[in-house]
Amino acid sequence: MILIEAGERTDKAFDAKLLVATQLAARGHRVVLDDRTRPEKVERYQKYEVAAFLADLGGVTLRRVILIGAESVAQDTMMALRGLRLGADVAVSVVGRFADRQSAIAARAKVAYAIGREPDLVDLATLQGPPLVANAISPLAAAPTPVPPERLTQVFIVLPQEALDDPQTLPVLSAMDNLPDYRLNVILPGKGKEQVKASRHAGLTVFGYSELSPAAFARLADIAAFFGDSVPGERMAAFALDLMRSGRVAIDCTASGGFLAGGAPVLRGPEEIAALANYVQHTVLVNRREIGRQAQKSPWLATHSVEALEQALGLEATVTAADAPEGTAASRSVFLPTNGVGLGHARRCTLIAEAMGPGADPAFAAFPSCVPLILDRGFDCLPLVQKSPDHVEDHANDLLSYLRLRRVLRSGDRLIFDGGFVFDSIHRVILEHGLDATWIRRGLWQAGQTLATALDREHTFARVIVPGEAFAELNSDRSTGTHVHAVGPIVQRLPQPDGAERAARRAALGQMLGREVGELVVTMLGGGVAADRTAQMQALATQLDLRPGCLHLIVV
Amino acid sequence: MTGPGRIAYLLDPRFPGGTSSAVAEELRTIAPLCQPAVHAVSSRMFAGHDPAPPLAAAFEALGIESVWDADTVSADTVILHNPSFLKFESGFGRRVLCRHLIVVTHENFLRPGGEEAFDVTGCLDRIDRGTLALRKSLAPISAHNRATVAAWGGRFGLPPGWDVLQEDWFNICDLPMIAPTDTPRDRRGRHSRPGFEKFPPPGDLGLCFPSHAEANVILGADLLIAEGAPAHWQVYPFRGLELARYFGMIDFMVYFTAPTWQESFGRVLAEGIAAGKVVISDKATAAGFGGGVIGARPEEVDGIIRAFVDDPARFARHVRAAQAALAAFSADAFRARFAGLFDPRTGAAA
Repeated sequence: MILIEAGERTDKAFDAKLLVATQLAARGHRVVLDDRTRPEKVERYQKYEVAAFLADLGGVTLRRVILIGAESVAQDTMMALRGLRLGADVAVSVVGRFADRQSAIAARAKVAYAIGREPDLVDLATLQGPPLVANAISPLAAAPTPVPPERLTQVFIVLPQEALDDPQTLPVLSAMDNLPDYRLNVILPGKGKEQVKASRHAGLTVFGYSELSPAAFARLADIAAFFGDSVPGERMAAFALDLMRSGRVAIDCTASGGFLAGGAPVLRGPEEIAALANYVQHTVLVNRREIGRQAQKSPWLATHSVEALEQALGLEATVTAADAPEGTAASRSVFLPTNGVGLGHARRCTLIAEAMGPGADPAFAAFPSCVPLILDRGFDCLPLVQKSPDHVEDHANDLLSYLRLRRVLRSGDRLIFDGGFVFDSIHRVILEHGLDATWIRRGLWQAGQTLATALDREHTFARVIVPGEAFAELNSDRSTGTHVHAVGPIVQRLPQPDGAERAARRAALGQMLGREVGELVVTMLGGGVAADRTAQMQALATQLDLRPGCLHLIVV
Repeated sequence: MTGPGRIAYLLDPRFPGGTSSAVAEELRTIAPLCQPAVHAVSSRMFAGHDPAPPLAAAFEALGIESVWDADTVSADTVILHNPSFLKFESGFGRRVLCRHLIVVTHENFLRPGGEEAFDVTGCLDRIDRGTLALRKSLAPISAHNRATVAAWGGRFGLPPGWDVLQEDWFNICDLPMIAPTDTPRDRRGRHSRPGFEKFPPPGDLGLCFPSHAEANVILGADLLIAEGAPAHWQVYPFRGLELARYFGMIDFMVYFTAPTWQESFGRVLAEGIAAGKVVISDKATAAGFGGGVIGARPEEVDGIIRAFVDDPARFARHVRAAQAALAAFSADAFRARFAGLFDPRTGAAA
């Protein structure tokens, strides 16, 4: 295992460690972060990102320690290094951008005192030259992302929070969002996403700065334009680097031209957002692939490559292409029925899986209540953890789901999600792994119900399948498009029992319940969080209770 | 020149620990000979710190009014103590005009293993650019310190116009000698500044201060207090205990440092010897004290202590011999060496 440490114990340093850990893990290195270094306050999205790496070092065998941000090594970091009692076989690398010789000597010496032997030293100022972001802690190395399948060009715009102060910003973005040649995505810091979602431009696809890892953003984007005064922080710089390395286009629209000034192979774009649509349309789109190819050849990019960093660190990548899967498994179909008890979703998914025919080899990931049903039908099932009031945080179970799903799923796999609300775990794993995702979404929307949150993540899915319901009012759907497919009710057709068998079953029920059973009515109107059907069930129960010989079975 | 002439000291008086104690002793020793001027430098290295107590006391006792951050330092001989205070500076920050500049190298130029201990080239270059002198000398303070200076010079090259004084500019250890106990017990201790470099790895520290020892007293243990010291250690922060009281609690001083760092002189060991203790350290550090300090590995400490406890007479003999050897670092010895610098027949001064 490789432990990533940082010179200082700050939130910024922790995020930088996370960037390095994510990047090295994608290269096939096994990486951990000391859970004692986790900041007190971690953003919700960051929790998902960090969950895969945090570890109690007591149970971990370290073979290497990489200390980033070594320009300043704090006492508590030295204390932690000393406390690790590293064996002589554990390589230790000190990484920093050292302003002068003394800084490098001091960094090396401090770590040497703490661990009792000499560490290796990697001076990023020598390896890479000046950083794109002043005082950057992470090495900011460019890693390639997988070649995406043919798709509508994805344009990302990275904006500072202040951009929303301009009343023209959102109307201009909405106008761009309706251009047919590309799909627009916006990345905003802080509360920017909530601000947009609360406006009448809520239809825009918006991400928070830290909602996904830079590599995941780079996987999604074909073109990205960066606005603001200067390079907008380490995460966005890392996103731009991966983008360039992957042969996509980065456009520097910053007021200071920070990317260009740093030497990065980017295009100089307009500083005005309103001018971007034409720039993208007439300058970039027509030459997109060639621009990307030229950027990839940049010597600057070579010095900033993750391979150069690995070499400097003496690391041997275990994958040569970013999208190389572990093993040689072919792409699989994984069903994920969800919500509440989930038997309705699970039953539907098993019906579909059974209909997929030989060779499909579908598997499941499901909550405990559904697992027996799925196993009974002969499918493998990855158990997920049910939400519980005993958990410290309301999304604690979803963090576990995320960890399990990301471990099981690989790029190119199909994920079929059946449920009403797309959890963070599902949203992230689809985007991070580039999954071919299908959303089976039974309506059950109530009149007047706010669907913004439920539908916000629809863009994550390649297709939406809307199974019909028996009652017309349950078939209303709020989204349209060629990706939405309405189908009839998905039901299991069983052979009708003959008269003798029906009579025998009635008799058996009657004997069991001590009453005459002439007919059986089954009510199953569960709607999970999407709909409360208590009133309807009570009405049905009241009416059916008046019918003699009627057994009313309510499934909840 | 037949006498020392005008002598000016140039130093940052806020150095903690041994350096300031050594310079304070030196000033007390040579003040009667030459009435030195003292130029104090407020370097970035010690921004926000007060002058070290031993130096402040020496200034007061000798009636020295130190001059802070003068633009020009002019004297026949300028003695610059510990050039490492310049390691965070962009320049020297002053002009030095003199016949002979002596730079006393309190810090080793190289660490064990050969890594540079600080940016020596940068510091000497800053001095060079601000100095007009007939001669510029480096003055190592011990045999080991001299070896690191020589090794550094061999690797990076001594700047043109610089030489290395032939005799060590040793730390004066004119300490009151306390007679050894005639009933030594397995009472161990160590004292130092609290820096990480001053402490061996936790495993070695455990060997030096085991639970079966009658006492384990560690002064300057801020680091160990923070990481949670075992119950059988009595730990005190830096300056958290009077030295006399600390020495009263121990019979053996067991002093190991991080393997990546070594004392340049080891004044702390001399203090232990003077206090009547048997002092045990790593072999390289012990070498500077002849046989006065026992060189050992941490796993050998137990056996060494047991043998001395079993043979009190040997304990006393060893301490007395070690104390006698400290005479080589006496004020008289330094005075003679200092005067010799300016003797036209034997001296090396310009």
